[in-house]
Amino acid sequence: MKSCRHSSSLDGASVGMADADTIFALSSGHGRCGVAVVRVSGPASPTALSCMAGFRRGLMPPPRTAVLRSITDPHSNEVLDRGLVLWFPGPHSFSGEDSVEFHIHGGPAVITSVLQALGSVPGVRPAEAGEFTRRAFQAGKLDLTEVEGLGDLIHAETEAQRRQALRQMSGDLGRLYQAWSHRMKRCLAHVEAFIDFSEDELIDDGILTEVDRTVAQLQAEMEQHLKDERRGERLRTGVQVVIAGATNAGKSSLLNTLCQRPAAIVSPIPGTTRDVVDTALDIGGFPVLLSDTAGLRDSSDLVEREGIRRAVERLEQADLTLMVVDCSHIPADVQPAASFLREHLHKLMPSDQCLLVLNKTDLIADSQREKLAVGLQSVPGLPPFCLISCQTHQGLTDFLTALHSRVKTLCGNPLSGSPTLTQARHRTHLQRSVAALAQYQRYRDADLALAAEGVRLALTCLGRITGRVGAEEILDIIFKDFCIGK
Amino acid sequence: MLRKKVPRLLQVFKRTSHCDRQQYDVIVVGGGHAGTEAAAAAARVGARTLLVTQKIQTIGALSCNPSLGGIGKGHLVKEVDALDGVCGRAGDWAGIHFSILNRRKGPAVWGPRAQLDRQLYREFIQSDLLSTPRLTVWEGSVEELMVEEPNPEKPGRHQVTGIRLANMETPISARSVVLTTGTFLSGSLFVGQTSSPGGRIGDAPSSAGLSHTIRERLGLRTGRLRTGTPPRVVKNSVDVSLAKLHPADLNPTPFSFINTQTRCKPEEQLPCYLTFTTPAVERVVRENLHLNCHIQQDTKGPRYCPSIESRVLRFPGRQHQVWLEPEGLTSDLLYPQGLSTTMPPDVQLRLLREIPALHKAEIHTPGYGVQYDFVCPTQLSPALQVKSTQGLFLAGQINGTTGYEEAAAQGLVAGLNAARSALAMPTVMLSRTESYIGVLIDDLVSRGVTEPYRMFTSRAEFRASLRPDNADLRLTLKGFEELGCVSSERYKEAVRVRDTLQDAMAALQSLSALPHIWKQKLPNIEISENKSGELTCMNLLLYNDVTIEMLASVFPESLSPYMEFSQRLKIEAVYRPHCDLQKREMARIQREETMLLPEDLDYFSLPVSLSQEVREILDRVRPTTLGAATRLEGMTPAATVNLLNYVRFSNRKVSKIHQKETDPKKAGEEEDLHVRNASLRQ
Repeated sequence: MKSCRHSSSLDGASVGMADADTIFALSSGHGRCGVAVVRVSGPASPTALSCMAGFRRGLMPPPRTAVLRSITDPHSNEVLDRGLVLWFPGPHSFSGEDSVEFHIHGGPAVITSVLQALGSVPGVRPAEAGEFTRRAFQAGKLDLTEVEGLGDLIHAETEAQRRQALRQMSGDLGRLYQAWSHRMKRCLAHVEAFIDFSEDELIDDGILTEVDRTVAQLQAEMEQHLKDERRGERLRTGVQVVIAGATNAGKSSLLNTLCQRPAAIVSPIPGTTRDVVDTALDIGGFPVLLSDTAGLRDSSDLVEREGIRRAVERLEQADLTLMVVDCSHIPADVQPAASFLREHLHKLMPSDQCLLVLNKTDLIADSQREKLAVGLQSVPGLPPFCLISCQTHQGLTDFLTALHSRVKTLCGNPLSGSPTLTQARHRTHLQRSVAALAQYQRYRDADLALAAEGVRLALTCLGRITGRVGAEEILDIIFKDFCIGK
Repeated sequence: MLRKKVPRLLQVFKRTSHCDRQQYDVIVVGGGHAGTEAAAAAARVGARTLLVTQKIQTIGALSCNPSLGGIGKGHLVKEVDALDGVCGRAGDWAGIHFSILNRRKGPAVWGPRAQLDRQLYREFIQSDLLSTPRLTVWEGSVEELMVEEPNPEKPGRHQVTGIRLANMETPISARSVVLTTGTFLSGSLFVGQTSSPGGRIGDAPSSAGLSHTIRERLGLRTGRLRTGTPPRVVKNSVDVSLAKLHPADLNPTPFSFINTQTRCKPEEQLPCYLTFTTPAVERVVRENLHLNCHIQQDTKGPRYCPSIESRVLRFPGRQHQVWLEPEGLTSDLLYPQGLSTTMPPDVQLRLLREIPALHKAEIHTPGYGVQYDFVCPTQLSPALQVKSTQGLFLAGQINGTTGYEEAAAQGLVAGLNAARSALAMPTVMLSRTESYIGVLIDDLVSRGVTEPYRMFTSRAEFRASLRPDNADLRLTLKGFEELGCVSSERYKEAVRVRDTLQDAMAALQSLSALPHIWKQKLPNIEISENKSGELTCMNLLLYNDVTIEMLASVFPESLSPYMEFSQRLKIEAVYRPHCDLQKREMARIQREETMLLPEDLDYFSLPVSLSQEVREILDRVRPTTLGAATRLEGMTPAATVNLLNYVRFSNRKVSKIHQKETDPKKAGEEEDLHVRNASLRQ
């Protein structure tokens, strides 16, 4: 005879704070690092540790002590790496919750496999932007200055994640996810229409058969996709630095100067570069993907217009923009020069991470260069700037120092330029989405409300990749597809 | 037992109308579905309440379709009843055809519904209001609202202190006023090419003074909406043999949790009939569009199709359903649901007669359209109080909704809060995590409306938890303990239900047997053999075909005390795992809803990092809680955090002042608690 303590869940009201999800994230930067740190926080952390580092249930390592273990995949038991693990029982942890750290080798293959293994542990999912810090905040683990910076931190992380997602979503993979989302929305709209209106309005039973078919197809396609070892596209790693600017400002010369070889064709003819030219670089030990883009101007040439479209797309995804300006076009006096640059920036709209490169100093007098260098320092609202000449290499050392420091900061943020994490996030959300579709199948005949709940859940999970879908959007589809009276 | 109501009407009204007391706690303007619930709720809370209506005999009138409930709407009726409202009991009294819609689609979306006898419904509502203590009813037309300078201690630019009736010099004062004027605010009626002022055919238009006060004096933003109603058809001119008979449920299910049966006996119920439009109907509509100014004026109509005109124009070449519904036990009219139209009367007749069952139909009253003003509901707090005006509450169509049930739900919340505010108690809100009423009000005040708002179950994100069967557990207990609008008898009954269900669930969890024993006892159920260990009754209930009755045959002694709730227990068992999954998200929303944003916050000068776009959104909508703010389109996670920090910071200042005045230790703890309760959206 088993007894059960009865909770107050019948009340319908809240039963207080339920257990939170367990989250994980890569918390070390990338680039010159031999060791990567993966942090896990939340009630399922001990489970993650026991099933991935071979601790028997209840036999955890001593708290806050590094232990060398083989790290294995919980399902295949394949050894992924050998590394250090640490166990931080709450509240004595960064987030105040039970936490675990895996210190593993820094290669992308190892990191990817460990992140994906973690994502497959029940109750564990990748962290959203700023989520670790928020939990620490809720547990009272942050001091006031840290709390005040929280909004900015979350902003930075959200932006980095958004850019990273945008990069992955702009390819075939993105189109695939969007197409799934579109079909799932229609499925949900049709089930909801059947629930809300079929008793009073003319809604054919056939629409549910159609939904059954689409849900089964979606399930099969998504499962196949998750099994596919090729994983679609090769992921571009590294900080994304994009060179942009008006035509003939010397963007391609800058690219060639940086990679010390003629990777891009340079000529005095405006509009020479028409496609995006990508080059992988190492800047002070950090991986950088440098892209040269077509000069931004209104053009009637079809090929050039496409090049400009691609340039704008790449600009939106950039971690850092090098905005190149021909300094012989800048007005001589400081104030007009500042307004000129501001207007120029406004027109080309680079991301908030921007370095202004005033090129072709060989074309202006030394005194003029000095005047600009000193005068523009004190102008508010301008991004940091460098005066260089790709021709004579004047100012190049200073520029490289500035670039190096920016890249270093960006690499310190584990989210920027780290497609592995995005990939792990996508995988987890897709797995949950597929699992939720199974709920539709399970309840289809017994309880349509619970079946619809499955599609709702599946769409919410997929929506974490493709964007949230609200009730109004579903109603829009319903009213477009069916005639609903009063 | 259904409580018997003896209609004892006019003399009591006459007596009360001679009452010369000129001061009330709450005045409710309007006697429709919102007004009656508002007045009854205010009186239940303990406020001396006055209901003012143009015509006492139209209190509780069903202006449009003779039915109550349905999918989503039935949820609202059950919830209003769980809060001790009137409409559920009135429906049980006046219903003449009961059915549970969506019976085969899962209990979370069942739609209890009834066709009503118009007269019985009106009589019940009037008699119920008359027997409500502290409630007075006056006949009169409100000329204007009395507006004064605001109380400086509270937010708001104005204060409403009462009303002035037409033909009466002295104003009647009240601490709170609830406006439930329906379609009467600058209402116009449309038939064909003619239009006339008014909110309902046969009734006088409301005074222009009221519209003027709302727009000019109080500066509230208004918009214009339209609705319509079909012609009423003479019953014996309809050939029902050409329509499909649609009988009622064999066993009528009452709306109200306190009724075990309906007044109408099962065998006395009247049927409905279903018929369809023909291509000729479409032709008549198209040929006569030029005679229809209501439709022609339609620049931004609703996405759904309330009139037959918009149905055939938007979805041409199809058959459209027309329901023929009884209007009452003794009525000689039928209501053709689905044929709402504003064509000229002769065209309406031609249109009707193109439908086979109506080929000889006679029209008793032609259909007509109504256009009316509504107050943009984003100007309201979740308590349905006008944010800029102290003491003024709005409910029903004036807030841009459509439907009796939507009106009743808002009426109850507005009346409840008008009374609480008048009696110096804090106003209260219902969360979208606990009720459809909460979903309705949250959608209205935080998103606004662009078309008449109607409830659908798809609007409720916690649909699995907010079911018609458990509305009493969700709301009756809270209604008594926190809101003060539920009688103690009802509360005691809800407590008994809750305790019995809990005991029963515990019993079901504790009673178990090995799979082969179950197979022996219940040979018709396919129990999977590969399950090791014992299976509890709760496990068994997850099988579709297993009922409590079957389990009681195996464990008669333990389960027989709970047979009264056999259906509810089965539903609870199946839904519990899904509800448990929703709890965490619900708790998060509830925490955010406890974090109030000051109503007079100047978002443009707020010294926190917010983008101009976000500031504009916040300034336009002025969300009442952090929870409402996070649901706004265009809010970013970073903006939410910055806003939260601000709320925390300003609370800290308040509690520091507090600290100086009172026990410093206690104040510090409060602040600490506040920080710990802080929750953020992912």
